[in-house]
Amino acid sequence: MKVAYIFATQRHNISYVLAKMILPQLEQKRHGVDVVGMFFFEDNNYVLVDGNPIGERLHKVAKDTGMLLMGCDQCCYEREIADKLFPGVPIGCFPDLYKALSGNMPDQVITL
Amino acid sequence: MTATCREACCSVTPRLTVAELFERGFRRSREAPRSIEGAPCTGAENNTTSFSLDVADGRIAAVGFRASCCATLIAYCEYIAEIVPSFGLAIARELTASNLVDSVPGVPALKRDRAVLAIAAFRAALLAADITQRGEPSNESRLHLRHPAP
Repeated sequence: MKVAYIFATQRHNISYVLAKMILPQLEQKRHGVDVVGMFFFEDNNYVLVDGNPIGERLHKVAKDTGMLLMGCDQCCYEREIADKLFPGVPIGCFPDLYKALSGNMPDQVITL
Repeated sequence: MTATCREACCSVTPRLTVAELFERGFRRSREAPRSIEGAPCTGAENNTTSFSLDVADGRIAAVGFRASCCATLIAYCEYIAEIVPSFGLAIARELTASNLVDSVPGVPALKRDRAVLAIAAFRAALLAADITQRGEPSNESRLHLRHPAP
């Protein structure tokens, strides 16, 4: 099964759910499903800023597996980080996300 | 140095960041169009925009626009709308997409093509203003519309 994650809430999502659950499992290739994309809203976008240690690991997994990483464009502009993300990580809105996923559609989209 | 710093450190408003241009542009794009309406232009990814102008004594008095809901495109259009009032039509025509990209920092390279679309639509409105003012477009206007500078 293929899934895409949308990180929409901000409580413990990046430091805990992503960094201590999903990401280690992806690195160890035992997450159980293929993650074809991740989309980030609001402060969650800071993980995509070039140099972020969690983002470094995530970016490596994305490059190795072809997983899409995308930041919300308005969220990134508001935080003035849109041009500071890891190389090749785009920003966009829903049309960009759907277009980017269209070649590798997930079976489930999971909002965290 | 007399120019006003518009960075966050100086707390000067309005700031010319993409986020704040988008906020103001989103409101402006929902206002009624001005008296002279340019033809809409469509770019990559089906983004569309059009400008409208009020012109008095050969100068731009006010600017309106409509744009697809793309934050980058709206920010670029709003920048045009904020800087060109009081410009003569000929001077306004000199504004290029490169000027726009340089003036609105923080846009990733993949999104900067929206500047070309914004300028093409703005020049279409200038052409419409030419037609209204003179009764026919100038050759220079036609040239710019067909070959918007990068």
